[in-house]
Amino acid sequence: MTFGQVAAKPLVWLVRAYQLVLSPLTPATCRYYPSCSAYAVTALSRHGLFRGTWLTIGRLGRCHPWTPGGVDHVPPLPGQPSDEELVARHIPHETTT
Amino acid sequence: MGDFFNTLLRPIELLVAWIMYGFHQAFTSIGLDPASGLAWGLSIIGLVIVMRAAMIPLFVKQINASRKMQMIQPELQKIQKKYKGKSDPESRQAMTQETMALYRKEGTNPFSSCLPILVQSPFFFGLFRVLNGLEKISTGDNEPIGPITQQVAGQAESATLFGAQLSDTFLSADNTATYIVTVILIILMSATTFTTQRQLMTKNMPASALDNPFAKQQKLIMYVMPVVFAVSGINFPIGVLLYWFTTNLWSMVQQFYVIRKMPAPGSAAEKALHERLAKRGKPIPGEAERKAAEAAEAEAAAERTRQRVQPKGKKRAKKKGPAGAATDKPVQGPTAPPGDAPTTGDQPTPADRAPGLDKAPRPAKAAGTAKSARTGKSARPGKAAQTEK
Repeated sequence: MTFGQVAAKPLVWLVRAYQLVLSPLTPATCRYYPSCSAYAVTALSRHGLFRGTWLTIGRLGRCHPWTPGGVDHVPPLPGQPSDEELVARHIPHETTT
Repeated sequence: MGDFFNTLLRPIELLVAWIMYGFHQAFTSIGLDPASGLAWGLSIIGLVIVMRAAMIPLFVKQINASRKMQMIQPELQKIQKKYKGKSDPESRQAMTQETMALYRKEGTNPFSSCLPILVQSPFFFGLFRVLNGLEKISTGDNEPIGPITQQVAGQAESATLFGAQLSDTFLSADNTATYIVTVILIILMSATTFTTQRQLMTKNMPASALDNPFAKQQKLIMYVMPVVFAVSGINFPIGVLLYWFTTNLWSMVQQFYVIRKMPAPGSAAEKALHERLAKRGKPIPGEAERKAAEAAEAEAAAERTRQRVQPKGKKRAKKKGPAGAATDKPVQGPTAPPGDAPTTGDQPTPADRAPGLDKAPRPAKAAGTAKSARTGKSARPGKAAQTEK
């Protein structure tokens, strides 16, 4: 685990807390798959604090009423297969709704 | 970090303060006692109304999207059929991914996006901080916020609603009125949110969507939620709880309206809407499409079981006279090979075609569909039915 990934842990916990406590209080809203919070968790734990935060901000900025939405995964690490492919081929991997 | 947060929230606090102050001035000018809890409580409700009203355009957009959802139903159902009975997480993920890809392809999306929540939450924080800070502003420990000067803060802070101060929290106060008002507000908040969720689950979800782990988790959460409200509620000032409850109430009414007017396809609410429309003799949106799809399906099934008819030459066909006019199954015209059988999905049902068997309650509509199918302008059966009138 890199420094960035360790440093991102508290933020990941924060997002997880949101998913467990606050998100259920509101109806499903996100226009993307995976949802913004799931994207944040994957981005932070995969790319670490800095790039993860940057990617998450980008995604939150994209999730507005004028976007068509759709499938938008966190970019994979170099040499890794894309999440879209893993999901399409039913290969187990960690993503939260 | 704290400083950064303060500078970020400052403009929002100011906005909250000005909206509340504006409403308070308005209520005072129509004769309410400026120091009363009623005037300040209504100001908080006014703040909710301003915020939610500002978001009505988003809500309208969502309604329009759900209209378009009707159109892509057949394709959605195809995906649902593909994953029917599969509840392993990999299948659910793949299904969600395919559904979302379809939304993008069709340029429609039933979800409202994350922006409204992101926009609302700082206001919630802002209000929380304004109400929480009233006491310190009134004692001079904190800076005044815009129009909320030391004097105004003192007045608002001591304003009581059923004997409970607006800035009181359950944990910090020791008067019975605050306890009672907090508990009542927490019950009301839980009840409105619970009803909103329950309405969504029981009325506005197709039966197929109810039977998956996600829905079950959602159900569990629905029952845990009041506990969450209770735990957080006792930490919040009465004014914030009032704001929270009013927002929930607004959401509930708004959703009630959407479910009544634009129910999710395949849900109980849709059935109810169709029954209401049928009672008033109005056309049911999407019904013709569904019938057409069913007919195409039946046609295709019949095609599979039916024996292939040998194509005939014109001479031989003529000898036999008009065939198929009286049978209830549409037999193709003499020269058309069965391979050309309708697979377009816009064909009318066999019942609509055979003259004696027409039991459809609205023949005008069926004719409209048939006509549009023949002319090739098939896309909007609802429209076809309208022009027929």
